[in-house]
Amino acid sequence: MTHSTGSGQAPLATSGRAEGWVRYRRDTFSLDVAWSVASGEVLSLYGPSGSGKSTTLRLIAGLLRPREGRIVVGDDEVFNGERAVWVSPHRRRVGYMPQQYGLFPHLSVYRNVAFGLSGGDKGDKTRRVMEVLGQLRVEDLAERYPAQISAGQQQRVALARALAPQPRLLLLDEPFSALDQELRVQLRGELKGVAAQVGIPMIVVTHDWADVLSLSDRVLALDQGKVVADGPPLELFERPSAEVLSRLTEVENVFAGRVTSLDRAAGVMSCDLGGVSLAVPFVALEAGATVRVGVRAGDILLATEPPKGLSARNVIAGKVVTVEGRRFETEVLVDCGRRFRVEVTPGAVESLGIAPGREVWLVIKSNSCFLIE
Amino acid sequence: MERSKQGGVRGAPGSAGWLAVGGLPTALFILFIGLPLLALFIRGFGQDGFWASLGQDTVLDALRLSFITSLIAVAVVAVVGTPMAYFLARSRFKGRGLLDALIELPIVVPPVVAGLAMLMAFGRNGLIGGALDSIGVSLPFTMTAVIFAQIFVGAPFYIRSAKLGFEAVDPGLEEIAQTLGRSPLQTFFRVTMPLASRAMIGGLVLCWARAISEFGATIMFAGNLPGRTQTMPLAILSALESDLGSALALSVILVLISLAVLVAVRLALRRSWELGT
Repeated sequence: MTHSTGSGQAPLATSGRAEGWVRYRRDTFSLDVAWSVASGEVLSLYGPSGSGKSTTLRLIAGLLRPREGRIVVGDDEVFNGERAVWVSPHRRRVGYMPQQYGLFPHLSVYRNVAFGLSGGDKGDKTRRVMEVLGQLRVEDLAERYPAQISAGQQQRVALARALAPQPRLLLLDEPFSALDQELRVQLRGELKGVAAQVGIPMIVVTHDWADVLSLSDRVLALDQGKVVADGPPLELFERPSAEVLSRLTEVENVFAGRVTSLDRAAGVMSCDLGGVSLAVPFVALEAGATVRVGVRAGDILLATEPPKGLSARNVIAGKVVTVEGRRFETEVLVDCGRRFRVEVTPGAVESLGIAPGREVWLVIKSNSCFLIE
Repeated sequence: MERSKQGGVRGAPGSAGWLAVGGLPTALFILFIGLPLLALFIRGFGQDGFWASLGQDTVLDALRLSFITSLIAVAVVAVVGTPMAYFLARSRFKGRGLLDALIELPIVVPPVVAGLAMLMAFGRNGLIGGALDSIGVSLPFTMTAVIFAQIFVGAPFYIRSAKLGFEAVDPGLEEIAQTLGRSPLQTFFRVTMPLASRAMIGGLVLCWARAISEFGATIMFAGNLPGRTQTMPLAILSALESDLGSALALSVILVLISLAVLVAVRLALRRSWELGT
């Protein structure tokens, strides 16, 4: 698929992981984080704004200096507080893509990508630029200027530019925040492909849990400068610590299961999620394929009588387990074979008389269910 | 042509009224500036001895001196002022506002006062003039004094403009350049400077224009010695007393050169990446 040049190109893959820990303080904000990513692996830094994700990325890139800690990239220590090791950012060989991509407006796409390739043979340089542009399928844009291409194209060019000098670690800060939903989904898939192809450790900052699920092998959830969860994204939900995480992710219900039947014409397929069957949007899969399905607690309706005449495909009977009041909404835990978290207003709880032990029906549109690959 | 027509149509809330409000003052202003310049050319070319005076030694000397001194002044300002402007644009510290004001002070100080002030500082009896004298350096009434005067009045224009230019460059772009393996110095030359080039060139042109037309500070600090410190504006004043033809010739040359520079810079700046395809 890629444009292999054949002649004398250094292999893309480098070995080595990226790991470290840092403590950093600015005004009243303090950050304390440790990470470790193997090559070919994608680590997500996940959390609300102000949690310290971008700061962590900038510390690793060398754009900020930690108070103490140790940062290792590949085989090199680029920062060590105790031994006063400090490698400046331009010697770290760490690729960094900021939120708004930061393409140089005065340079063409070609020259943007060539920017990080210094010295060496001119022919090699040209080949390398065209190779990465080809890899990201934007080679046609080489002569354009950043202002003349779309946001999605800018993202690919920025990624090509970061990859061109063959960094030992790639840092992406909110890579999808400037894109619309459709493009997001498409580029997520491509980015994952690139990650696998390039074979270097990758750290992605995001506040969108869907990014985490579709991209990363591991996730580090941050809240107010502290790590609140660390592990493969799907496992985190099955741990007791999931409460903080689900508050952060806003995807409160995630179930594993199998596809039981598909109906292309109706645009849905049924999935058995271990005790509950859910109709979810159709995806080209085989019956029997394993899937993970997510539903946001706020997307579920609660009824106290069996509802009739609804367009929603999923009406599931269950029993209320707990009712937990929060400030603006109430979370109701309902057992339907699997436990669903449902978010309702405190007023609804009162007027419907929802209490533990009460029999209820969950109403879920199939479109509110999404597949997590 | 088309562009101006379009602009006229788009901006017209009611053509006749618009013309009266905006057009009339504009036309008056153009007359106000254009008439004297036109008079200068008409009287100049009609004057006896106009063409002959172009070859006179005093005219040629003044021309040469003005060019050499103003170019040196601009070069010094560019070399010293650029890092300074960058520093001012990127750093935050207490008293920065005061420093900014101090740097812009020469813009508001009358040049004659500036010249006198320099004489008080560097003159033979000046604050450090004695010390300079004892190591064999005497500034007043030298070409160096001419350059000093020009730097004094011209530098703030460049520093201010370049500073604004640097401030407009996103520091994030400089960071990316570094993560792409470029040292801070390379980053400055490849990213910061190209992006601030309009402001820098604009500032240099202003600085040069101010330097070549410098009169007050020069005559106070450097004097009016033909061939040594007599720049074109000074030569124009001297010539006026005896020979209107030379004065007009010098003036016409000065205007033509200034016009040429202005047009050249405008053309050069137009061919930039902002409009480019």
